[in-house]
Amino acid sequence: MSFLDSLAAGLSLVGNIEAFLALFIGVVIGVIGGAIPGMSATMAVALTLPFTFAMQPITGILLLLGVYKGGIFGGSIPAILIKTPGTPASSATILDGYPLAERGEAGRALGMALWASCTADVISNLALILFAGWLASFALSFGPPEFFTLILFSLTIIAGVSGDSLLRGALSALLGLLLATIGLDLVYGTNRFTFGDPNMMGGLNFIAVLIGLFAIPEILAMVWHPTAHVGKTRSLGKNWVSFADYRRSFKSIVRGSFIGVFLGSIPGIGAAPSAFLSYSEARRTSKNRENFGKGEIEGVAASEAGNNGVAGATLIPLLALGVPGDVITAIIIGAFMIHGLQPGPMMFILNVDIIYGLFIGLIVSSLFLFMVGSVAIRGFKYVADLPRRILIPAVLVLCIYGVFAVNNNIFDVGVMFAMGWVGFVMMRYRVPPAPFLIAFILGPLLEDNFRQAMLMSGSDPTILIRGPITWFFWAMTVVTIVAIVRAGVGAFRRGPGRGRAPEA
Amino acid sequence: MTERQVQLRLGVGAIAMALFLAAIAIPNWVSSPSNVGNIVLSPLFWPYVLAGFAGLTGLGLVIAGLREAAQDPAPETDDHAHGPAWRRLAGMAVFMLLTMYALPRLGMVLTTMLLFAATAFLVRTRHPVTAVICALLVPLVLYGFFAHVAGVAIPQGEVIRLP
Amino acid sequence: MTLKTMGAVCALSLGLAGAAWAEYPERPINMVIPYGAGGATDISARTISEPLGKAVGKPLVMANVTGAGGATGSVAVQNAKEDGYTMLFARVGSHSVNPAMKATLPYTLEDFRFVTVYEINPFACVVSARSDITSMEALIEQAKGDGISFSSSGVGSGPHLAAAMVLNAFGVEDAANAATHIPQQGGGAAATAVLNGTADFLCTNSSALAGFVSNGQMRALMVTTADPVEGFDAPTSVDLGQPDLQQMVGWTGIAGPAGLPDEVAAKWGDWMQSAAADAEFVEKMESRGSIIRVMSPEEANDFIQGQYETFRKLVDDLGMRIEG
Repeated sequence: MSFLDSLAAGLSLVGNIEAFLALFIGVVIGVIGGAIPGMSATMAVALTLPFTFAMQPITGILLLLGVYKGGIFGGSIPAILIKTPGTPASSATILDGYPLAERGEAGRALGMALWASCTADVISNLALILFAGWLASFALSFGPPEFFTLILFSLTIIAGVSGDSLLRGALSALLGLLLATIGLDLVYGTNRFTFGDPNMMGGLNFIAVLIGLFAIPEILAMVWHPTAHVGKTRSLGKNWVSFADYRRSFKSIVRGSFIGVFLGSIPGIGAAPSAFLSYSEARRTSKNRENFGKGEIEGVAASEAGNNGVAGATLIPLLALGVPGDVITAIIIGAFMIHGLQPGPMMFILNVDIIYGLFIGLIVSSLFLFMVGSVAIRGFKYVADLPRRILIPAVLVLCIYGVFAVNNNIFDVGVMFAMGWVGFVMMRYRVPPAPFLIAFILGPLLEDNFRQAMLMSGSDPTILIRGPITWFFWAMTVVTIVAIVRAGVGAFRRGPGRGRAPEA
Repeated sequence: MTERQVQLRLGVGAIAMALFLAAIAIPNWVSSPSNVGNIVLSPLFWPYVLAGFAGLTGLGLVIAGLREAAQDPAPETDDHAHGPAWRRLAGMAVFMLLTMYALPRLGMVLTTMLLFAATAFLVRTRHPVTAVICALLVPLVLYGFFAHVAGVAIPQGEVIRLP
Repeated sequence: MTLKTMGAVCALSLGLAGAAWAEYPERPINMVIPYGAGGATDISARTISEPLGKAVGKPLVMANVTGAGGATGSVAVQNAKEDGYTMLFARVGSHSVNPAMKATLPYTLEDFRFVTVYEINPFACVVSARSDITSMEALIEQAKGDGISFSSSGVGSGPHLAAAMVLNAFGVEDAANAATHIPQQGGGAAATAVLNGTADFLCTNSSALAGFVSNGQMRALMVTTADPVEGFDAPTSVDLGQPDLQQMVGWTGIAGPAGLPDEVAAKWGDWMQSAAADAEFVEKMESRGSIIRVMSPEEANDFIQGQYETFRKLVDDLGMRIEG
């Protein structure tokens, strides 16, 4: 079947009102679900799954994809407005989005988040359509040694989000790495810091840690000093993102999209590290480097491009290999299977109409995302105008519901409270929370892949330099660390002072 | 707090944490099977590495702190660290503990209503009536959404049971 | 307040127990799924919830409580009130492999009362399609010679035990250590590890592998049933002279806390009979490679106990028990 035939077959499959309606409704559900902290894109997709059982396969899958895409964008709304990432992928958006909202520029930040998300979405979808086969075979060459080196390199992001003291950033990262060791050991199944409690055996819930670290310290800060906000403008104002903003950030958006495509096509990394990597790359190359973390619109653009760039690309391993790249695609694979479809190489032969139907739907989804997102921003932005001292207790209650709902476990609410106090102490001592979070995500991956590689080789460390991919990431890591150390030594020589952070 | 104090306290804290981990926490609370073939595969390996790095970072912070000028003023003054602030913070800690105790007993809706009101008055809201109305409504709306739209089994109390 | 009480899950909050049992159920029932959304247990549970909900007459509220290989969710039900309003979707991993392998597991089989087992999944052993290994014989030969590695969804998971059991049955000495076990985080990652060459083989429930086999990415070497499994062009364990391996099957069942009253268990037995008679349900499950076999509460207890004892003996013989 030629390309045109396939395209026609795909069109005939999605060329009906239901398919597009499902996609649209999906995006709406996703944006709302993503915007509710704790609900997250993952849960929104999981909740929508049962409704797809009775639908046509393509309609059901488009519905889920709509929820996924909408959810990844929707997460940025509370991240910007109330410093609570609606979905883990949007935690990098907080770094500059919330300061912008504090300055009364929430509308601008939200607008940029939407534009960057949609641009990245288009790039990611195109990458899926054009390079699925090639990227999938590349993904399969990622074994534990390659993963180990990639994650080692990714950990150097920490230098980029450490704020004004690299040492404090490192301390924050170490805390994250240590907390991530809680739970059952991967290789031997023995307990680490679980104190025999079954709730600890599963490790600390990621979303509980995330919300605890970002949202609760704001509440405690308000308790500490209830009138600190009085006199600051927080109203959304009329301001909206300008085309000049977009043009200025365009390079970062495209770079972030490609980072997202790359990390998304490799199963097992997910959107949050991609957003942080995109952010730190944007910061590294930007002229306004000093302004990052204090409300730089380009930072919002880079983070949102990084996480939405993943959304289309995670479908590459899913469709081409039948391998889920993250939790959300694991649920979407369930939807395929319920309809008797087996994602994998054969699907491109047996169900090529469905594949092309999905491609068409994906392209349309970027458009829908833009429409729904614009409306959602107008609806949600009034949150910024609420009286602070009513908003803060409401956020607290919302966080409790959301964190409970993630895993139906009251223990997680306790984890959130405890992490809130850790976050508050870190805030008081000016220790940045972002390195903590990155380390908490990447630490277990680093350790697991290291040990898996050691198991593969019978503890022979040369496996860690077994091929060109590992060489590439080793080289990148060494170059980055040298740059960090040189900048650090330079700052040290210039004498004391809390000057700039060393550039990564 | 001056920059110097921040660095020094964090540094000392990190060193203390590293020592605590290496001497007490890891040996006692990380179990490792007896037949581990290679040291790098042991469940203990990674925590010890982290403890080592924490110690080094602590040393770095202490050295950096000592190099700071002692009279270096803090970037933000902290004139709110007085009695009432500490009392409010302690109050919030108590509320959180009570919340954890009450959640399985009173149910999530009642507990969060009380927590909402308590927090709003703790931060001395200027809109007490609005606060009370919100304290009643927000948990109910969230319950409606999570329990009936999202199908989550929100904890019900022993006092009242919502539909 | 201890962490234990904090951990008591939502489910604990159920109202006045001990009322007239004749009226059970008088409100929605919480069904805990101890594994994540989209997994085999989750899909199975959500598929049966439809006909089951009709049979029960009250809504079933599905709650995924994940963590520690199913232990977190299982403990939530273990500690719940014994009034039948908190039930668990138990799975082979959480309720026969884990108890057999993990000394530190916070629960035992005695802490639960099974009301049914409704689904059986055969296990299959696969290698990558690019692998040189084409038969179980070749696999065993390599295990005895150059050594071999296998992936699993974690230490003490079904695939971990299954691989050791298979190697042991085929006469590999010291089967627990003869092959290199490369554990992964979850079933999807375990399959990926075989695809990208991290591990040589994997034995897990056939439904997780059907897609890869039909796509020509993996080659099936054996299934653990007496009859061939559709879509798997591989000999059965009986064909290969290892009928004992039939014990290695996955299953999904429903359990309550140990003190579940007899009346409640009996009601569940009836509900399951009528739910599993639903043609649509049976068709959906069978299309995913499951075998629908509804067991009464007594049968279910015997079945699980039997499987547990087989596994426990194997684990003790091979020295695979995880202490500490």
